[in-house]
Amino acid sequence: MSIADMTPIDLAGYIGDHLSQRGINVVLSGGACVAYYSKGQYVSMDLDFFNAGFSRRDKITAAMADIGFREDKRYFRHPDTEFLIEFLPGPLGVGDEPVGKIIEIKTRAGTFKIISPTDCVKDRLAGYFHWDDLQCLEQAVLVARENRIDLDEIEKWSAAEGKRDLFQQIRKRLKTKG
Amino acid sequence: MLEPILGSLSCERVLAFIFARQEGYAREMARFFETDLNPIQKQLDKLELAGVLVSRTAGRTRLYEFNPRYAFLKEIKSLLEKAIAFYSPDDRDRLLMVRRRPRRKGKPL
Repeated sequence: MSIADMTPIDLAGYIGDHLSQRGINVVLSGGACVAYYSKGQYVSMDLDFFNAGFSRRDKITAAMADIGFREDKRYFRHPDTEFLIEFLPGPLGVGDEPVGKIIEIKTRAGTFKIISPTDCVKDRLAGYFHWDDLQCLEQAVLVARENRIDLDEIEKWSAAEGKRDLFQQIRKRLKTKG
Repeated sequence: MLEPILGSLSCERVLAFIFARQEGYAREMARFFETDLNPIQKQLDKLELAGVLVSRTAGRTRLYEFNPRYAFLKEIKSLLEKAIAFYSPDDRDRLLMVRRRPRRKGKPL
């Protein structure tokens, strides 16, 4: 499969596999997780990977160059795809706490690691709580509707972020499956 | 004061300024500390890349603030709070006592 034919999820698998073979541990986060967990109701043009293993930047740059990605400022681009790749520094956390479960997803092009739907909702809510970003809230709602999430855990996390009241206001919107 | 830990005086200046004022831009910080713009800008870039700071534009100015999603934010703020408490009263006042209320355009005073 060529990079030009890859969906963002295939591309995540392809990159995840390749970096893993180079000893680089990355975990997908951000908008691409929303795209995955919302089953395509949200579209993200960038793949944000957390550098969970704290690999050196030059090691990542060299590994990405092996598969044709060139670094442009902080992003990586490939001539055959419009998707941008970014590696965020660790630690892999959502606000004040480390993320919980990491899930492995198999695609046609390889396997990648991703944060759980519950952590994805927290990640989006962090944007809403701290920057009043309504787009982030809508993304959290999309993920909650399509997946099983742990609302009690999200409530505890919201309280730790000092946003318990705000969470109570939006709790009903985070109706979850099952 | 935190230079031995942070590895650079400019890094401490940037963090202390943003801690005290909540946000700031490179030229403003360089002017405040009477230093070159370049080392300040370098530290802002480095801290943004590391996820400690985030930035947004306001007109033609890039404003930096702490990233509320940074895992060690509470801890770094505690450290800065303590460091600023050790600054001389003059330096501390200069850093903290800033007019925040609005001033009407054209007001002579």
